[in-house]
Amino acid sequence: MKTLLRLNFLKNRALIFATLGMHAFVALLAPYLRLSSTDSQDSAALLQGPSLNHWLGTDSLGRDVFSRLLHGGRPSLVIAFAATAISCLIGIVIGSVAALAGGWIDDALSRVIDFMLALPTLILLLLISSFFGQDPLILSVALGLMYASPIARVARSATQTLLARDFIRVARLQGGSRISILFGEVMPNVWRVMFTEVAMQFTWILLAFSSLSFLGLGASPPTPEWGLMIAESRSYMTLNPLLVIAPIMMLASLVLAIQALVDHE
Amino acid sequence: MKNLARRVVFSLATFIALAVVSFVGVDALPGDGCTALLGRFGTNAKIEACRQENNLNDSVVVRLKDWSGDLVRGDLGYSIKRDEQVSKIIMPRLRNTAVMAAVAALIAFPSAIVVGLLLGRYPRKRISKAVNQFSVIAMTLPEFVIATVLWLVLSIWIPIFPGVSVMPSNASLLQLLPNVWLPALTLAVVIFAHSMRTMRASVTNVQNMPFVESARLRGTNERKMIKRHIVPAALPPVVNVVALDGAWLLTGTFVTEAAFNFQGLGRLAIDAISDRDTALILPIILFGLAVYLVSSLLADSLVRVFDPRLRSSNR
Repeated sequence: MKTLLRLNFLKNRALIFATLGMHAFVALLAPYLRLSSTDSQDSAALLQGPSLNHWLGTDSLGRDVFSRLLHGGRPSLVIAFAATAISCLIGIVIGSVAALAGGWIDDALSRVIDFMLALPTLILLLLISSFFGQDPLILSVALGLMYASPIARVARSATQTLLARDFIRVARLQGGSRISILFGEVMPNVWRVMFTEVAMQFTWILLAFSSLSFLGLGASPPTPEWGLMIAESRSYMTLNPLLVIAPIMMLASLVLAIQALVDHE
Repeated sequence: MKNLARRVVFSLATFIALAVVSFVGVDALPGDGCTALLGRFGTNAKIEACRQENNLNDSVVVRLKDWSGDLVRGDLGYSIKRDEQVSKIIMPRLRNTAVMAAVAALIAFPSAIVVGLLLGRYPRKRISKAVNQFSVIAMTLPEFVIATVLWLVLSIWIPIFPGVSVMPSNASLLQLLPNVWLPALTLAVVIFAHSMRTMRASVTNVQNMPFVESARLRGTNERKMIKRHIVPAALPPVVNVVALDGAWLLTGTFVTEAAFNFQGLGRLAIDAISDRDTALILPIILFGLAVYLVSSLLADSLVRVFDPRLRSSNR
């Protein structure tokens, strides 16, 4: 117990990078690893424990859990990357424009940001997903729009502190227009400051999509996705607990590694 | 007092504005009560007849007027899909969620305040670091993972609590109680981590203040130090978080309730959204808005009670 307490795994750099590397490797190369198919059902081998043929056993439809597990991060990662990119684009533009313009434009944009922050995100996502179909494109755009407001808020204050710095003053004195200052000076520097916020945002979006999948309104079956796998296998936990433990470990290790990395910086 | 009155009026105005926006927004979604009832097999003629019968062909403005008039009189509306008064559907679910929220709050908040105090006071102990690490994990993992882990451990491996609840939505309190524990524990883990960290940060902050230093130099003993100096000064920010977490306990429980099939408001919201029952979705959204506004009002007033400095400056 004492050694366990001493093992400060959230601060162990090597462990963090190893975990992230493993996830990157698996997510990028899963389709090329000659795994068994994620969809082929084997009705003769339902809910089996680990074996040589199926390293982590099979689920209730006789599908190979190991293969599904390695593919299971891809849908959420793709959506999280797309949505984070969208939210950064919108958020950083809105935030830095608000700070740079000042006056009534700043006031108006800040009100919009406040309003967006108060929206009940999950219920809106559920509504969109239910009424417009579980389309990954629509969901990425919706997630990107919804998560743009926190980015905008941080970008606005980051820009405001930047504006007081000397190099921006110099650019102004040199007669740079607001637009050229925005893209030449502000954007590249805000981007650097925003890294932590963006990484956090990425995990929230990832988890939001996984939660949607868990509720049956994110990834649609038979797509292998961790949240969906957990939801599908929960009734069979007594028979083969690996069915839920494995995707939980994957999801948790990914999210915690990103979190730990951010805390470290 | 004047300040408070102004805030109440402002909150009310916000509520009305958001209620109108929600009505128009939900109305703009493809589908209405009739398509929800008849599904994709409903013929155009049938859907049209149903719309005629339920006045769904009136313009948005007319329906908004009718709906808000009913709302003021306390009539939440009627679900065509479920063929029942919305209030009759919502009330038992609201009670279930309230019981669950109360259990979670009773478990989480007192322990969070005590543990946060101890962690802030003794940050170097190994156990403090372990608890801290646990709270980071609890705050990062999504509720459905926490729910599934608790279920696996406390219902299957060590069978203490029943897992999925199989109760009707209007079960008696005695029937309800065994099913409350696991969802309540899940929520408790989340809000414990959140409020505990706030308390810890607040205690750490207070400890570095001059008045604590001066009390120590006067030779105040540990017990009096905590009771008289640290806790009263550290509580106000925590009260704020407790109020907002309390609001979340009543309105943000979709995933947890779905994970345990707990027949509360969140589960109902997901059902209503899945079968596109707009008449039922709207009041649930409004309830969430109202809880959010009331709790932030409450948070501000409570902070005033706990922090005498704010009281005197606003008189």
